[in-house]
Amino acid sequence: MKTTALSLLSTLLLCALTITTNAQKVYATKTGQVFFNATGGIEKIAAVNNQTDSKFVDQTGQIIFAVLVKGFKFENQLMEDHFNENYMESSKFPKADFKGYITNVKEINFSKDGSYPITVDGDLTIHGVAKKVSTKGTLKIEKGQPQIEGEFVIKIKDYGITGLYIGDKIAADASITINCKY
Amino acid sequence: MKRIILSALVLILIIAASGYYYVFIYSKNRKFDMEHAESMNIKADELVKAFQENEANANKLYLDKVLLITGVVGATAKTQAGENSVTLSSSDPFSGVMATLDSTVTSQVNVGDTIEIKGFCKGFLSDVVITNALIQ
Repeated sequence: MKTTALSLLSTLLLCALTITTNAQKVYATKTGQVFFNATGGIEKIAAVNNQTDSKFVDQTGQIIFAVLVKGFKFENQLMEDHFNENYMESSKFPKADFKGYITNVKEINFSKDGSYPITVDGDLTIHGVAKKVSTKGTLKIEKGQPQIEGEFVIKIKDYGITGLYIGDKIAADASITINCKY
Repeated sequence: MKRIILSALVLILIIAASGYYYVFIYSKNRKFDMEHAESMNIKADELVKAFQENEANANKLYLDKVLLITGVVGATAKTQAGENSVTLSSSDPFSGVMATLDSTVTSQVNVGDTIEIKGFCKGFLSDVVITNALIQ
């Protein structure tokens, strides 16, 4: 009798675990966009990365964005070369990423179209230096497909990036804009 | 004396104009000639394995290099920015070679085709990422 009850309990627990696992959904994209703008003077210093890898889990809010630094495209090739060689040292630090959580993910109804304000907390790693970042953004649901948009500002020197013109032609603070359709 | 000053001014003007042309016009309009660029030949599966086994070493070998990659088309898609992309399969179903095609490329490829893609290797995320790619 005791064995039967134990088996029944185990089966129920397993079912509950399976239901929980099935209910959780991971959204992903490999072609999200990250825009970078550090214009400090007349000349525009801006780039876009169209191969942003991002995933998030709807139940926990766990989220990751990752980009390859050499994947940023500038309008000016010379500027792109300087960005990679003299500032980002992208051969040494080829990736930048953000790992964190959408802290208010429980407020999002993924089955209902709409625009939901989100708060994202986590660690941003650029140039091999990780810093805590907290920012607000928007998660839109359209026909069941989520899209995350957000913008935040970083101090370039906080990430150990040095080089001429920072604070002059290159702004000391760079704005990073994210737009990912999952 | 007047002549020397005038010559110096003209020289400075020429240097300044050349600098401006190089930085703001030539560099902006310069387009890499992918079609005629020298490349390293590699199979998609070998490239993915190289990054999975030792990413630092693979970066030393392939990062920002022009590669000519042979593989089987696993997927074709449009990126969020509207560019055409082709993913070459590898023996790992979760990872392949994702190439964003140059905007001038009009070649049509189908899933299952064996093709050669030539482009810049930008590193490894879920897939090995290739940009400015041409289909050979």
